[in-house]
Amino acid sequence: MTLQLSEISRCFQGVVPSIVVTSDANGTPNVTFVSQVHQVDDKHVALSCQFFNKTRRNLDENPRAWIEVHDPVTLQTFRMRIRFLRSEKSGPLFDSMSVRIQAIASHTGMCGVFRLIAADVFAVESVEKNEGFLTEVMPDDSEQVSVEGLRHEVRGLQYVSESINRAACLEALLEAVLESLDKYFGFEHTMILLQDESTKRLVTMASRGYGVSGVGAEVAIGDGLIGMVARTRHLLRISGLHLELTYGRTIRREHGGMTPEVPLPGLPDAQSALVIPLVVGDRLLGVIAAEDRDPMRFGEWDETYLHVIANQIALGVDRMLERDDDEPGVIAPTPAAVAVVPNRRTFTFYANDDCVFVDDEYLIRNVPGRILWKLLREFRSDGRTEFSNRELRVDESLGLPAIKDNLESRLILLRKRLTEKCPEVRIVPTARGRFALQVDGGVELVER
Amino acid sequence: MRRTPIDEGMSLFVGTVSPDGLPAGCRAIAATSPDQLKTITIYLPMATSRDVVSNIASTKKLAIVGTYPPDHSAMQLKGTTTAVRLATDDEREFLTYRVERFGDILHAIGIPRRVAKAINHWPAFAVEMKVEEVFDQTPGPNAGVSLR
Repeated sequence: MTLQLSEISRCFQGVVPSIVVTSDANGTPNVTFVSQVHQVDDKHVALSCQFFNKTRRNLDENPRAWIEVHDPVTLQTFRMRIRFLRSEKSGPLFDSMSVRIQAIASHTGMCGVFRLIAADVFAVESVEKNEGFLTEVMPDDSEQVSVEGLRHEVRGLQYVSESINRAACLEALLEAVLESLDKYFGFEHTMILLQDESTKRLVTMASRGYGVSGVGAEVAIGDGLIGMVARTRHLLRISGLHLELTYGRTIRREHGGMTPEVPLPGLPDAQSALVIPLVVGDRLLGVIAAEDRDPMRFGEWDETYLHVIANQIALGVDRMLERDDDEPGVIAPTPAAVAVVPNRRTFTFYANDDCVFVDDEYLIRNVPGRILWKLLREFRSDGRTEFSNRELRVDESLGLPAIKDNLESRLILLRKRLTEKCPEVRIVPTARGRFALQVDGGVELVER
Repeated sequence: MRRTPIDEGMSLFVGTVSPDGLPAGCRAIAATSPDQLKTITIYLPMATSRDVVSNIASTKKLAIVGTYPPDHSAMQLKGTTTAVRLATDDEREFLTYRVERFGDILHAIGIPRRVAKAINHWPAFAVEMKVEEVFDQTPGPNAGVSLR
Protein backbone atom coordinates (compact mmCIF):
# COMPACT_ATOMS: atom_id res chain seq x y z
CA MET A 1 0.00 0.00 0.00
CA THR A 2 1.38 3.40 -0.94
CA LEU A 3 1.55 5.80 2.00
CA GLN A 4 1.65 9.59 2.02
CA LEU A 5 4.96 11.22 2.97
CA SER A 6 3.14 13.14 5.69
CA GLU A 7 2.40 9.79 7.37
CA ILE A 8 6.10 9.10 7.83
CA SER A 9 7.35 12.65 8.45
CA ARG A 10 9.35 11.53 11.53
CA CYS A 11 11.61 9.57 9.19
CA PHE A 12 12.94 12.82 7.76
CA GLN A 13 14.35 14.25 10.98
CA GLY A 14 17.77 12.73 10.34
CA VAL A 15 17.99 10.72 13.55
CA VAL A 16 18.80 7.44 11.78
CA PRO A 17 20.77 7.47 8.50
CA SER A 18 18.82 6.42 5.39
CA ILE A 19 19.99 4.08 2.65
CA VAL A 20 19.93 4.90 -1.06
CA VAL A 21 20.32 2.34 -3.86
CA THR A 22 21.05 3.49 -7.41
CA SER A 23 22.45 1.82 -10.51
CA ASP A 24 24.59 2.77 -13.48
CA ALA A 25 23.66 2.27 -17.12
CA ASN A 26 25.10 -1.27 -17.03
CA GLY A 27 22.86 -2.31 -14.17
CA THR A 28 25.57 -2.37 -11.49
CA PRO A 29 23.98 -1.35 -8.19
CA ASN A 30 25.44 1.10 -5.68
CA VAL A 31 24.47 1.47 -2.03
CA THR A 32 25.16 4.50 0.13
CA PHE A 33 24.03 5.94 3.46
CA VAL A 34 22.74 9.51 3.55
CA SER A 35 22.36 11.61 6.66
CA GLN A 36 19.53 13.78 5.45
CA VAL A 37 16.44 13.00 3.40
CA HIS A 38 14.46 16.22 3.23
CA GLN A 39 10.71 16.20 2.67
CA VAL A 40 10.01 18.93 0.10
CA ASP A 41 6.24 18.38 -0.10
CA ASP A 42 3.91 15.39 -0.18
CA LYS A 43 5.24 14.19 -3.54
CA HIS A 44 8.90 15.15 -3.47
CA VAL A 45 12.00 14.56 -1.36
CA ALA A 46 15.51 15.96 -1.63
CA LEU A 47 18.82 14.28 -0.83
CA SER A 48 21.91 16.14 0.28
CA CYS A 49 24.66 15.78 -2.31
CA GLN A 50 27.97 16.04 -0.42
CA PHE A 51 30.42 13.26 -1.08
CA PHE A 52 28.54 10.55 -2.92
CA ASN A 53 29.84 11.10 -6.41
CA LYS A 54 29.03 7.58 -7.60
CA THR A 55 25.38 8.07 -6.67
CA ARG A 56 25.38 11.37 -8.52
CA ARG A 57 26.90 9.82 -11.69
CA ASN A 58 24.46 6.92 -11.51
CA LEU A 59 21.49 9.28 -11.40
CA ASP A 60 22.62 10.89 -14.63
CA GLU A 61 22.63 7.44 -16.24
CA ASN A 62 19.52 6.03 -14.54
CA PRO A 63 17.24 8.46 -12.67
CA ARG A 64 15.41 5.67 -10.78
CA ALA A 65 16.48 5.17 -7.15
CA TRP A 66 15.29 3.40 -4.01
CA ILE A 67 15.45 4.65 -0.43
CA GLU A 68 14.87 3.01 2.93
CA VAL A 69 14.14 5.37 5.83
CA HIS A 70 13.67 4.65 9.55
CA ASP A 71 11.04 5.91 11.93
CA PRO A 72 13.26 7.05 14.84
CA VAL A 73 10.63 6.17 17.44
CA THR A 74 9.38 2.75 16.36
CA LEU A 75 12.45 1.84 14.22
CA GLN A 76 10.05 0.59 11.55
CA THR A 77 11.47 1.08 8.06
CA PHE A 78 9.74 2.40 4.94
CA ARG A 79 10.79 1.97 1.34
CA MET A 80 10.40 4.58 -1.35
CA ARG A 81 10.78 4.34 -5.09
CA ILE A 82 11.93 7.72 -6.35
CA ARG A 83 12.89 9.35 -9.64
CA PHE A 84 15.59 12.02 -9.94
CA LEU A 85 14.32 15.36 -11.27
CA ARG A 86 16.95 18.07 -10.77
CA SER A 87 19.80 19.43 -8.68
CA GLU A 88 19.33 22.74 -6.89
CA LYS A 89 22.49 24.65 -6.02
CA SER A 90 20.82 27.76 -4.63
CA GLY A 91 17.42 28.91 -3.43
CA PRO A 92 15.31 28.29 -0.31
CA LEU A 93 15.52 24.47 -0.42
CA PHE A 94 19.29 24.51 -0.85
CA ASP A 95 19.68 27.09 1.91
CA SER A 96 17.55 25.20 4.42
CA MET A 97 19.45 21.94 3.81
CA SER A 98 22.82 23.68 3.71
CA VAL A 99 22.56 25.45 7.07
CA ARG A 100 22.43 22.13 8.94
CA ILE A 101 25.48 20.80 7.14
CA GLN A 102 27.40 24.05 7.53
CA ALA A 103 26.62 24.16 11.24
CA ILE A 104 27.86 20.63 11.86
CA ALA A 105 30.89 21.30 9.66
CA SER A 106 31.70 24.36 11.71
CA HIS A 107 31.40 22.37 14.93
CA THR A 108 33.73 19.68 13.64
CA GLY A 109 36.29 22.01 12.13
CA MET A 110 35.40 20.92 8.61
CA CYS A 111 34.21 24.21 7.11
CA GLY A 112 34.61 24.20 3.36
CA VAL A 113 35.27 20.45 3.23
CA PHE A 114 32.01 19.12 4.63
CA ARG A 115 29.49 21.12 2.62
CA LEU A 116 26.36 20.77 0.58
CA ILE A 117 27.12 20.62 -3.12
CA ALA A 118 23.49 20.38 -4.22
CA ALA A 119 20.01 19.51 -3.07
CA ASP A 120 18.97 16.66 -5.38
CA VAL A 121 15.20 16.68 -5.85
CA PHE A 122 13.25 13.48 -6.55
CA ALA A 123 9.64 12.67 -7.38
CA VAL A 124 8.29 10.04 -4.99
CA GLU A 125 6.60 7.24 -6.94
CA SER A 126 5.66 4.97 -4.04
CA VAL A 127 6.06 4.68 -0.26
CA GLU A 128 5.57 1.33 1.46
CA LYS A 129 5.99 0.02 4.95
CA ASN A 130 8.73 -2.63 5.06
CA GLU A 131 6.44 -5.38 6.30
CA GLY A 132 8.16 -8.09 8.33
CA PHE A 133 11.23 -6.00 9.20
CA LEU A 134 10.58 -6.16 12.94
CA THR A 135 9.32 -9.12 14.91
CA GLU A 136 8.17 -6.88 17.74
CA VAL A 137 6.33 -3.57 17.48
CA MET A 138 8.23 -0.83 19.26
CA PRO A 139 6.07 1.40 21.44
CA ASP A 140 5.22 4.77 19.99
CA ASP A 141 5.11 6.95 23.07
CA SER A 142 5.87 10.17 21.28
CA GLU A 143 3.71 13.09 22.24
CA GLN A 144 0.66 13.70 20.12
CA VAL A 145 -0.77 17.14 19.60
CA SER A 146 -3.91 17.32 21.73
CA VAL A 147 -6.56 20.00 22.05
CA GLU A 148 -5.56 20.48 25.69
CA GLY A 149 -1.93 20.75 24.63
CA LEU A 150 -2.89 23.32 22.03
CA ARG A 151 -4.78 25.35 24.61
CA HIS A 152 -1.78 25.24 26.92
CA GLU A 153 0.55 26.38 24.17
CA VAL A 154 -1.73 29.17 23.02
CA ARG A 155 -1.88 30.34 26.63
CA GLY A 156 1.89 30.13 26.65
CA LEU A 157 2.06 32.25 23.54
CA GLN A 158 -0.22 34.80 25.17
CA TYR A 159 1.91 34.79 28.34
CA VAL A 160 5.15 35.27 26.43
CA SER A 161 3.60 38.04 24.40
CA GLU A 162 2.41 39.82 27.53
CA SER A 163 5.78 39.36 29.22
CA ILE A 164 7.51 40.99 26.30
CA ASN A 165 5.00 43.80 26.18
CA ARG A 166 5.17 44.56 29.89
CA ALA A 167 8.91 44.17 30.41
CA ALA A 168 10.35 47.36 31.84
CA CYS A 169 13.86 46.62 30.71
CA LEU A 170 15.79 44.29 28.47
CA GLU A 171 17.00 42.15 31.34
CA ALA A 172 13.46 41.53 32.58
CA LEU A 173 12.29 40.76 29.06
CA LEU A 174 14.92 38.09 28.46
CA GLU A 175 14.40 36.44 31.84
CA ALA A 176 10.62 36.39 31.42
CA VAL A 177 10.82 34.85 27.97
CA LEU A 178 13.09 31.99 29.04
CA GLU A 179 10.99 31.34 32.12
CA SER A 180 7.78 31.12 30.11
CA LEU A 181 9.36 28.88 27.47
CA ASP A 182 10.20 26.47 30.27
CA LYS A 183 6.80 26.77 31.98
CA TYR A 184 4.51 26.57 28.97
CA PHE A 185 6.54 24.78 26.32
CA GLY A 186 8.81 22.57 28.39
CA PHE A 187 11.97 24.05 26.87
CA GLU A 188 14.22 23.45 29.87
CA HIS A 189 17.58 24.41 28.37
CA THR A 190 17.55 27.73 26.56
CA MET A 191 19.73 30.75 25.95
CA ILE A 192 19.53 34.10 24.19
CA LEU A 193 22.54 35.70 22.59
CA LEU A 194 22.59 39.24 21.21
CA GLN A 195 24.89 40.58 18.56
CA ASP A 196 27.58 43.04 19.60
CA GLU A 197 27.70 45.43 16.66
CA SER A 198 31.24 46.56 17.43
CA THR A 199 32.82 43.08 17.54
CA LYS A 200 30.33 41.34 15.24
CA ARG A 201 30.10 38.53 17.79
CA LEU A 202 27.14 37.06 19.63
CA VAL A 203 27.19 37.47 23.41
CA THR A 204 25.14 35.30 25.77
CA MET A 205 22.77 37.62 27.63
CA ALA A 206 20.51 35.12 29.39
CA SER A 207 20.29 31.38 29.87
CA ARG A 208 18.12 28.92 31.75
CA GLY A 209 18.51 25.28 32.68
CA TYR A 210 22.29 25.12 32.73
CA GLY A 211 24.41 24.71 35.83
CA VAL A 212 26.53 27.73 34.90
CA SER A 213 24.80 30.75 33.41
CA GLY A 214 27.44 31.33 30.75
CA VAL A 215 26.42 34.99 30.56
CA GLY A 216 29.16 36.75 28.63
CA ALA A 217 30.10 33.70 26.58
CA GLU A 218 30.73 34.70 22.99
CA VAL A 219 30.21 33.02 19.64
CA ALA A 220 31.65 34.28 16.38
CA ILE A 221 29.21 34.75 13.53
CA GLY A 222 29.43 31.56 11.46
CA ASP A 223 30.87 29.49 14.29
CA GLY A 224 28.98 26.32 15.26
CA LEU A 225 25.23 25.83 15.27
CA ILE A 226 24.47 29.23 16.80
CA GLY A 227 26.96 31.19 14.76
CA MET A 228 25.82 29.56 11.55
CA VAL A 229 22.19 30.44 12.23
CA ALA A 230 23.28 34.04 12.80
CA ARG A 231 25.22 34.09 9.55
CA THR A 232 22.56 32.48 7.38
CA ARG A 233 19.55 33.82 9.31
CA HIS A 234 17.92 30.46 8.76
CA LEU A 235 16.22 28.48 11.50
CA LEU A 236 18.01 25.23 12.39
CA ARG A 237 16.33 22.15 13.88
CA ILE A 238 18.56 19.12 14.35
CA SER A 239 17.73 15.74 15.86
CA GLY A 240 20.23 13.04 16.82
CA LEU A 241 23.05 15.49 17.45
CA HIS A 242 25.04 13.67 20.08
CA LEU A 243 27.96 12.37 18.03
CA GLU A 244 28.46 15.58 16.07
CA LEU A 245 28.24 17.85 19.10
CA THR A 246 30.50 15.71 21.23
CA TYR A 247 33.10 15.74 18.50
CA GLY A 248 32.76 19.48 17.95
CA ARG A 249 33.06 20.28 21.64
CA THR A 250 36.12 18.08 21.91
CA ILE A 251 37.77 20.08 19.16
CA ARG A 252 36.75 23.32 20.83
CA ARG A 253 38.25 22.14 24.12
CA GLU A 254 41.43 20.83 22.54
CA HIS A 255 42.09 23.99 20.58
CA GLY A 256 41.19 26.32 23.46
CA GLY A 257 41.32 30.08 22.79
CA MET A 258 44.45 32.03 23.64
CA THR A 259 42.39 34.80 25.14
CA PRO A 260 40.24 34.30 28.24
CA GLU A 261 36.88 32.86 27.39
CA VAL A 262 33.62 32.24 29.20
CA PRO A 263 32.44 28.76 28.26
CA LEU A 264 29.23 28.71 26.25
CA PRO A 265 26.47 27.06 28.25
CA GLY A 266 25.38 23.81 26.71
CA LEU A 267 24.37 20.25 27.45
CA PRO A 268 27.37 17.97 26.89
CA ASP A 269 24.98 15.20 25.89
CA ALA A 270 22.49 17.22 23.82
CA GLN A 271 20.66 15.07 21.30
CA SER A 272 18.61 17.76 19.63
CA ALA A 273 18.75 21.49 19.08
CA LEU A 274 16.49 24.24 17.83
CA VAL A 275 18.20 27.53 16.98
CA ILE A 276 16.30 30.54 15.62
CA PRO A 277 17.64 33.94 14.51
CA LEU A 278 16.21 37.09 16.09
CA VAL A 279 15.69 39.41 13.15
CA VAL A 280 13.85 42.70 12.67
CA GLY A 281 13.53 43.67 9.03
CA ASP A 282 16.92 42.77 7.64
CA ARG A 283 18.79 43.41 10.90
CA LEU A 284 20.12 40.52 12.95
CA LEU A 285 19.71 41.19 16.68
CA GLY A 286 20.72 37.80 18.02
CA VAL A 287 19.78 34.16 18.35
CA ILE A 288 17.61 32.07 20.64
CA ALA A 289 18.67 28.46 21.15
CA ALA A 290 17.08 25.47 22.86
CA GLU A 291 18.66 22.06 23.50
CA ASP A 292 17.43 18.76 24.87
CA ARG A 293 18.69 15.28 25.68
CA ASP A 294 15.75 13.73 23.83
CA PRO A 295 16.69 13.27 20.16
CA MET A 296 13.05 13.80 19.15
CA ARG A 297 12.34 16.74 21.46
CA PHE A 298 11.79 19.40 18.82
CA GLY A 299 9.24 18.78 16.10
CA GLU A 300 7.70 20.99 13.45
CA TRP A 301 5.18 22.11 16.04
CA ASP A 302 7.86 23.45 18.39
CA GLU A 303 9.64 25.04 15.47
CA THR A 304 6.52 26.95 14.48
CA TYR A 305 5.79 28.16 18.00
CA LEU A 306 9.33 29.17 18.78
CA HIS A 307 9.57 31.00 15.50
CA VAL A 308 6.54 33.12 16.40
CA ILE A 309 8.02 33.78 19.83
CA ALA A 310 11.42 34.61 18.34
CA ASN A 311 9.82 37.29 16.18
CA GLN A 312 8.16 38.78 19.24
CA ILE A 313 11.40 38.69 21.20
CA ALA A 314 13.20 40.43 18.35
CA LEU A 315 10.64 43.22 18.25
CA GLY A 316 10.76 43.55 22.04
CA VAL A 317 14.56 43.63 22.17
CA ASP A 318 14.66 46.17 19.37
CA ARG A 319 12.19 48.36 21.22
CA MET A 320 14.27 48.17 24.41
CA LEU A 321 17.52 48.98 22.64
CA GLU A 322 16.04 52.04 20.96
CA ARG A 323 14.59 53.61 24.09
CA ASP A 324 15.67 57.10 24.84
CA ASP A 325 17.78 57.26 27.97
CA ASP A 326 15.80 60.10 29.45
CA GLU A 327 12.39 58.65 28.76
CA PRO A 328 10.52 58.42 32.02
CA GLY A 329 9.64 54.89 32.93
CA VAL A 330 9.60 52.28 35.59
CA ILE A 331 12.92 50.85 36.57
CA ALA A 332 13.09 47.11 36.85
CA PRO A 333 13.48 45.88 40.38
CA THR A 334 17.09 45.12 41.08
CA PRO A 335 17.73 41.81 42.77
CA ALA A 336 18.52 42.24 46.40
CA ALA A 337 22.22 42.44 46.97
CA VAL A 338 23.65 39.18 48.15
CA ALA A 339 25.04 39.49 51.63
CA VAL A 340 28.77 39.27 51.23
CA VAL A 341 31.67 39.67 53.55
CA PRO A 342 33.44 42.75 52.28
CA ASN A 343 36.71 41.76 50.69
CA ARG A 344 39.35 43.83 49.08
CA ARG A 345 39.23 42.93 45.40
CA THR A 346 41.94 43.58 42.87
CA PHE A 347 40.87 44.53 39.35
CA THR A 348 43.43 44.29 36.57
CA PHE A 349 42.94 45.82 33.13
CA TYR A 350 44.96 44.18 30.35
CA ALA A 351 45.13 46.82 27.63
CA ASN A 352 46.48 44.50 24.94
CA ASP A 353 43.67 41.99 25.38
CA ASP A 354 41.10 44.69 26.23
CA CYS A 355 39.85 42.72 29.23
CA VAL A 356 39.45 42.95 32.98
CA PHE A 357 40.37 40.32 35.54
CA VAL A 358 39.28 40.29 39.17
CA ASP A 359 41.72 38.59 41.55
CA ASP A 360 43.33 36.73 38.64
CA GLU A 361 40.01 35.47 37.30
CA TYR A 362 38.66 36.61 33.96
CA LEU A 363 35.72 38.97 34.38
CA ILE A 364 34.81 40.79 31.16
CA ARG A 365 36.26 42.33 28.02
CA ASN A 366 35.72 44.74 25.14
CA VAL A 367 33.26 47.62 25.62
CA PRO A 368 31.73 46.37 28.90
CA GLY A 369 35.28 45.91 30.24
CA ARG A 370 36.19 49.48 29.30
CA ILE A 371 33.00 50.76 30.91
CA LEU A 372 33.81 48.96 34.15
CA TRP A 373 37.33 50.30 34.12
CA LYS A 374 36.07 53.87 33.66
CA LEU A 375 33.59 53.50 36.54
CA LEU A 376 36.15 52.00 38.88
CA ARG A 377 38.77 54.63 38.08
CA GLU A 378 36.37 57.49 38.71
CA PHE A 379 35.19 55.82 41.89
CA ARG A 380 38.77 55.53 43.11
CA SER A 381 39.92 59.00 42.06
CA ASP A 382 36.84 61.12 42.75
CA GLY A 383 34.60 58.91 44.84
CA ARG A 384 31.91 59.02 42.14
CA THR A 385 29.08 56.52 42.41
CA GLU A 386 26.38 58.07 40.19
CA PHE A 387 26.64 57.71 36.41
CA SER A 388 24.45 58.15 33.34
CA ASN A 389 24.10 56.27 30.07
CA ARG A 390 24.47 59.55 28.24
CA GLU A 391 27.97 60.25 29.57
CA LEU A 392 29.03 56.77 28.54
CA ARG A 393 27.73 57.38 25.04
CA VAL A 394 29.77 60.57 24.60
CA ASP A 395 32.96 59.09 26.02
CA GLU A 396 34.90 58.20 22.86
CA SER A 397 37.45 56.17 24.82
CA LEU A 398 34.82 53.48 25.38
CA GLY A 399 34.45 52.81 21.65
CA LEU A 400 30.67 52.61 21.56
CA PRO A 401 29.30 52.68 18.00
CA ALA A 402 27.61 55.94 17.03
CA ILE A 403 24.36 54.14 16.22
CA LYS A 404 22.91 50.90 17.56
CA ASP A 405 25.31 50.96 20.48
CA ASN A 406 23.46 48.26 22.49
CA LEU A 407 24.50 50.08 25.64
CA GLU A 408 21.73 48.59 27.72
CA SER A 409 22.68 45.02 26.79
CA ARG A 410 26.33 45.78 27.57
CA LEU A 411 25.36 47.08 31.03
CA ILE A 412 23.21 43.99 31.65
CA LEU A 413 26.15 41.82 30.72
CA LEU A 414 28.46 43.75 33.02
CA ARG A 415 25.94 43.64 35.86
CA LYS A 416 25.47 39.88 35.56
CA ARG A 417 29.17 39.13 35.31
CA LEU A 418 29.81 41.20 38.45
CA THR A 419 27.01 39.39 40.28
CA GLU A 420 28.59 36.05 39.41
CA LYS A 421 32.25 36.86 39.87
CA CYS A 422 32.44 39.85 42.22
CA PRO A 423 29.26 40.52 44.21
CA GLU A 424 31.09 43.18 46.28
CA VAL A 425 30.83 45.51 43.27
CA ARG A 426 27.39 46.16 41.84
CA ILE A 427 25.80 48.30 39.15
CA VAL A 428 22.31 49.31 40.22
CA PRO A 429 19.80 51.18 38.02
CA THR A 430 18.51 54.28 39.77
CA ALA A 431 16.39 55.94 37.07
CA ARG A 432 15.89 55.66 33.35
CA GLY A 433 19.35 56.07 31.88
CA ARG A 434 21.07 56.39 35.25
CA PHE A 435 22.77 53.93 37.57
CA ALA A 436 24.90 53.72 40.68
CA LEU A 437 28.13 51.91 41.35
CA GLN A 438 28.00 50.21 44.75
CA VAL A 439 31.19 48.89 46.28
CA ASP A 440 31.54 46.90 49.50
CA GLY A 441 35.06 46.65 50.85
CA GLY A 442 37.97 48.09 48.99
CA VAL A 443 39.11 47.88 45.39
CA GLU A 444 42.61 47.97 44.01
CA LEU A 445 43.19 48.85 40.37
CA VAL A 446 46.12 47.61 38.31
CA GLU A 447 46.70 48.43 34.65
CA ARG A 448 48.98 46.29 32.47
CA MET B 1 42.91 -1.85 10.68
CA ARG B 2 40.16 -1.34 8.11
CA ARG B 3 36.81 -2.88 9.03
CA THR B 4 35.12 -5.05 6.44
CA PRO B 5 31.53 -6.25 6.05
CA ILE B 6 32.40 -9.63 7.61
CA ASP B 7 33.36 -8.06 10.98
CA GLU B 8 31.10 -8.17 14.04
CA GLY B 9 28.92 -5.17 14.76
CA MET B 10 28.70 -3.97 11.17
CA SER B 11 25.48 -2.50 9.83
CA LEU B 12 24.96 -4.35 6.53
CA PHE B 13 22.91 -3.44 3.52
CA VAL B 14 22.68 -4.85 -0.01
CA GLY B 15 21.60 -3.29 -3.29
CA THR B 16 20.37 -4.82 -6.53
CA VAL B 17 18.73 -3.72 -9.76
CA SER B 18 15.87 -5.30 -11.69
CA PRO B 19 16.32 -6.09 -15.40
CA ASP B 20 14.35 -2.93 -16.25
CA GLY B 21 16.57 -0.70 -14.12
CA LEU B 22 14.62 -0.40 -10.85
CA PRO B 23 16.97 -0.50 -7.84
CA ALA B 24 16.00 -2.31 -4.62
CA GLY B 25 17.76 -3.15 -1.38
CA CYS B 26 17.40 -4.69 2.04
CA ARG B 27 19.20 -4.97 5.36
CA ALA B 28 21.47 -7.98 5.78
CA ILE B 29 22.19 -9.85 8.99
CA ALA B 30 25.76 -11.07 8.70
CA ALA B 31 28.48 -11.97 6.23
CA THR B 32 31.35 -14.45 6.12
CA SER B 33 34.27 -15.02 3.77
CA PRO B 34 36.53 -18.08 3.66
CA ASP B 35 39.15 -16.48 1.41
CA GLN B 36 39.87 -12.87 2.49
CA LEU B 37 36.98 -11.36 0.58
CA LYS B 38 37.57 -13.08 -2.73
CA THR B 39 34.14 -14.53 -2.18
CA ILE B 40 31.54 -13.67 0.43
CA THR B 41 28.35 -15.19 1.78
CA ILE B 42 25.77 -12.67 2.96
CA TYR B 43 22.61 -13.55 4.88
CA LEU B 44 19.34 -11.79 4.05
CA PRO B 45 16.13 -12.09 6.08
CA MET B 46 13.56 -13.90 4.00
CA ALA B 47 10.82 -11.58 5.26
CA THR B 48 12.30 -8.44 3.70
CA SER B 49 14.44 -9.61 0.78
CA ARG B 50 11.83 -10.68 -1.76
CA ASP B 51 12.65 -8.00 -4.38
CA VAL B 52 16.39 -8.35 -3.82
CA VAL B 53 16.40 -12.11 -4.33
CA SER B 54 14.18 -11.73 -7.36
CA ASN B 55 16.60 -9.21 -8.89
CA ILE B 56 19.60 -11.41 -8.15
CA ALA B 57 17.95 -14.31 -9.93
CA SER B 58 17.69 -12.16 -13.05
CA THR B 59 20.78 -9.94 -13.06
CA LYS B 60 23.24 -11.69 -10.67
CA LYS B 61 24.64 -8.25 -9.73
CA LEU B 62 24.94 -7.33 -6.06
CA ALA B 63 26.44 -4.51 -3.96
CA ILE B 64 27.13 -4.96 -0.25
CA VAL B 65 27.87 -2.09 2.17
CA GLY B 66 29.12 -2.61 5.69
CA THR B 67 29.19 0.40 8.05
CA TYR B 68 30.47 0.53 11.61
CA PRO B 69 27.92 2.76 13.37
CA PRO B 70 30.16 4.36 16.04
CA ASP B 71 32.57 5.92 13.54
CA HIS B 72 30.74 5.63 10.19
CA SER B 73 33.69 3.80 8.60
CA ALA B 74 32.36 1.80 5.68
CA MET B 75 33.31 -0.48 2.81
CA GLN B 76 31.38 -1.48 -0.30
CA LEU B 77 31.85 -4.74 -2.19
CA LYS B 78 30.46 -5.32 -5.67
CA GLY B 79 30.32 -8.53 -7.62
CA THR B 80 28.37 -11.33 -9.21
CA THR B 81 26.26 -13.75 -7.23
CA THR B 82 27.07 -17.42 -7.70
CA ALA B 83 24.40 -19.07 -5.56
CA VAL B 84 21.31 -18.34 -3.50
CA ARG B 85 20.13 -20.92 -0.97
CA LEU B 86 18.19 -21.16 2.25
CA ALA B 87 20.40 -20.73 5.30
CA THR B 88 20.71 -23.99 7.22
CA ASP B 89 19.84 -24.60 10.84
CA ASP B 90 23.60 -24.86 11.51
CA GLU B 91 23.97 -21.24 10.41
CA ARG B 92 21.11 -19.95 12.55
CA GLU B 93 23.21 -19.82 15.73
CA PHE B 94 25.84 -17.72 13.93
CA LEU B 95 23.19 -15.28 12.71
CA THR B 96 21.64 -14.93 16.16
CA TYR B 97 25.10 -14.32 17.63
CA ARG B 98 25.82 -11.60 15.07
CA VAL B 99 22.47 -9.90 15.71
CA GLU B 100 23.34 -9.79 19.42
CA ARG B 101 26.77 -8.30 18.73
CA PHE B 102 25.13 -5.71 16.46
CA GLY B 103 22.80 -4.94 19.37
CA ASP B 104 25.86 -4.34 21.58
CA ILE B 105 27.23 -1.80 19.11
CA LEU B 106 23.88 -0.02 18.80
CA HIS B 107 23.57 -0.01 22.59
CA ALA B 108 26.96 1.70 22.82
CA ILE B 109 25.64 4.61 20.75
CA GLY B 110 22.39 4.89 22.68
CA ILE B 111 19.97 2.59 20.83
CA PRO B 112 18.30 -0.02 23.06
CA ARG B 113 19.43 -3.63 22.56
CA ARG B 114 15.82 -4.71 22.01
CA VAL B 115 15.84 -2.86 18.69
CA ALA B 116 18.46 -5.15 17.16
CA LYS B 117 16.83 -8.18 18.75
CA ALA B 118 13.55 -7.24 17.08
CA ILE B 119 15.05 -7.25 13.58
CA ASN B 120 13.59 -10.22 11.76
CA HIS B 121 16.53 -12.46 10.87
CA TRP B 122 15.15 -15.98 10.50
CA PRO B 123 14.52 -17.77 8.18
CA ALA B 124 17.19 -16.32 5.92
CA PHE B 125 18.68 -16.63 2.47
CA ALA B 126 22.42 -17.22 2.08
CA VAL B 127 23.66 -15.38 -1.01
CA GLU B 128 27.14 -16.23 -2.28
CA MET B 129 28.99 -13.62 -4.31
CA LYS B 130 32.29 -13.47 -6.15
CA VAL B 131 33.80 -10.11 -5.09
CA GLU B 132 34.99 -8.13 -8.11
CA GLU B 133 35.40 -4.62 -6.71
CA VAL B 134 36.09 -3.18 -3.24
CA PHE B 135 35.59 0.49 -2.39
CA ASP B 136 36.22 2.72 0.59
CA GLN B 137 32.78 4.06 1.51
CA THR B 138 33.65 6.11 4.60
CA PRO B 139 32.09 9.59 4.26
CA GLY B 140 34.70 12.09 3.12
CA PRO B 141 37.01 12.80 0.23
CA ASN B 142 38.06 9.13 -0.11
CA ALA B 143 34.53 7.80 -0.46
CA GLY B 144 34.41 5.75 -3.63
CA VAL B 145 38.16 5.12 -3.86
CA SER B 146 38.87 1.63 -5.15
CA LEU B 147 40.67 -0.60 -2.64
CA ARG B 148 41.09 -3.56 -4.98
